[in-house]
Amino acid sequence: MTNSNNYEALYRQALLIRRVEEEIIRLYPSDKVQSPVHLSIGQEAVAVGLCSLLKPEDRMFATYRSHAFYLAKGGDLNAMMAELFGKVDGCCGGKGGSMHLAYPQVGFMGTSAVVASGIPNAVGNAYANKILGKSDLTLSVFGDGATEEGVYHESLNFASLHQLPIIFICENNQFAVHTRLQARQSYAIREHVQSYGIDTFHIKEGYDFCAVQTQFAQMLESYRENPRPLFIEIDTCRYMEHVGPGEDFYGGYRDESEQAEWRANDPLLTDLQTYEALLPAVNQLIENSVAFAEASPFPTITDLYQDVY
Amino acid sequence: MTEVVTYREALAESMHNALERNDNSVIFGQGVDDFKGTFGTTLGLAEKFGAQRVQDVPIIEEGITGICMGAAMNGLRPIHVHIRADFLFLALNQVLNMAAKYKYMFAGHHEVPIFIRAVVGRSWGQGAQHSQSPQSLLSHFPGLKVIMPSSSQSILESYDYLLNDYHSPVVSLEHRLMYDLNFDVDRAGLRKGEQSLASYVARQGSDITIVATSIMVLEALRAAKHLEAFGIQCEVIDLHCTSDITEEVVLASVEKTGRLLVADTSWLKFGTCAEVARLVCENIPHRLKAPMKSVGMVPTPCPTAKALEDLYYPNLQTLVSDILEVLGESSSSIQLPDEKSMADVYKKFRGPF
Ligand SMILES: Cc1ncc(C[n+]2csc(CCOP(=O)(O)OP(=O)(O)O)c2C)c(N)n1
Repeated sequence: MTNSNNYEALYRQALLIRRVEEEIIRLYPSDKVQSPVHLSIGQEAVAVGLCSLLKPEDRMFATYRSHAFYLAKGGDLNAMMAELFGKVDGCCGGKGGSMHLAYPQVGFMGTSAVVASGIPNAVGNAYANKILGKSDLTLSVFGDGATEEGVYHESLNFASLHQLPIIFICENNQFAVHTRLQARQSYAIREHVQSYGIDTFHIKEGYDFCAVQTQFAQMLESYRENPRPLFIEIDTCRYMEHVGPGEDFYGGYRDESEQAEWRANDPLLTDLQTYEALLPAVNQLIENSVAFAEASPFPTITDLYQDVY
Repeated sequence: MTEVVTYREALAESMHNALERNDNSVIFGQGVDDFKGTFGTTLGLAEKFGAQRVQDVPIIEEGITGICMGAAMNGLRPIHVHIRADFLFLALNQVLNMAAKYKYMFAGHHEVPIFIRAVVGRSWGQGAQHSQSPQSLLSHFPGLKVIMPSSSQSILESYDYLLNDYHSPVVSLEHRLMYDLNFDVDRAGLRKGEQSLASYVARQGSDITIVATSIMVLEALRAAKHLEAFGIQCEVIDLHCTSDITEEVVLASVEKTGRLLVADTSWLKFGTCAEVARLVCENIPHRLKAPMKSVGMVPTPCPTAKALEDLYYPNLQTLVSDILEVLGESSSSIQLPDEKSMADVYKKFRGPF
């Protein structure tokens, strides 16, 4: 793949994610999507850059804010849309919804809506890889807020103690709901991780999928030379409200101007030429997925009782 | 004289009064001081009473619960808020092994006056991890008071007592679907002291006893209203304090009607329904003229899709049909309401949260 091809492929993926979420916003008042939605708009490049270097066998455990990771990891768009519509052809038959996407066929294992609760599951997956002699990677994705929970610390300790093949990804968007990081944390995230003997990295250009990809490639190289737990903090920016389809600058807890620099560097907002070139095909995919979701039947009482045990 | 007070307003008033009456009352919780103010129930309180007394906290449920407990052992009266009861699960060690035990284990050396508010989610795709209603789990443990207010009146009277004159750990399970509902409040009639926790007859009737919790009290009242048109009189009991059921109230009603249905906001197995059945079977089994019935969620985790959610939760139609079954009435002679989604009724509650 030439560089420009690579750029276009990443751009296309990021654009798809953004347009999918914009479509969710557009559809929301129709009540077709009846669930909380935690949008990734502004954060797409993180998922796109990272996942571009992963194989389907590499497994990822993520959070309620995972439309971007689901799609970037290769999750089927039609199945995601149908899931949001609460239909049988959804990736979880409608039982999971936006907060609980899963597509294990491509290594997207599932998303928990209880903060930090998926982190130890990822560590367990890595542990099994080690015991079973599998060379696949495990990725644990979480927000800056999740680093406050006790189970996060327990997980880092165990991962380091056993030198597990896992990469922790902290998407730092500076906020947990409406609270700034400084009001919640007395520690510096990476410094603290280092105290567990885990090597840490920092990607500052979380708006730039190419930068994320390039830097992650170097980190992967370091990992392959010496498989061990790694920790990557990636700065990013959530444009929309914490949960729901709107913006929330009216809330006064942050100012729109704080995002100016971020938006000024966001390829989806700045490179309009590529945007326009790729848009029609992307929109077509989304239109198809909505039609697919609409056409899919609602689950029934038989589905209700399936998979309890 | 009654006045209209929403569930949310009653909660806000109770939070305000707790801070105003006790200088040592404090509110801890994620987002309690933000612009949404715990669904509007803590709005403005940080501004009025100071950030120290109305504190946003890191995402550390177990830690904060233990911290509240230590503070409570040293003179503070912490109120700890969880926007979903599911998040309280992370703190169960501090709640069940510690707070609920400290008075007893140390023979009364310590009092632990912590008041935990936990909101039960329902509808709008809350799904498996944002919708659980853990009253039976919590009520199982001696040392913990568990209440499930089903009206503004109930909030005003029981919070007033528990936040001022009660000195042991409490969990209040509030129901998210009720926040926007209007209730008539009779201030002169507010129950006082321990009485404010008592189970009570919410509607008198002679044909069947419906024992209910939380929002299921409202559902039972709606079912009673429907059946009244057919000459059936349902007695509805609001259990309210699930950890300390007022047994006399339940037993007296079942003695009178001879028929029983229990409607709870959770699963049936090992639940409130089972507990009420135990109460009746141990005391007056011979007074039941027909097998009792339990109404609650089906025994699966909560699905997100609305189509499944509507099958997962009971609705007015299934509730009325279950009542008729206990009464031995066939539903061919009595018309069932055609309402199959409770979420559509409490429409004021609309996403995202
Ligand atoms: C255990 C638990 N506590 C509280 C919540 C409510 N909650 C949902 S998201 C969130 C903030 C998490 O912030 P962060 O980890 O930074 O992720 P972000 O939402 O920014 O992606 C909180 C507190 C929850 N879901 N689970």
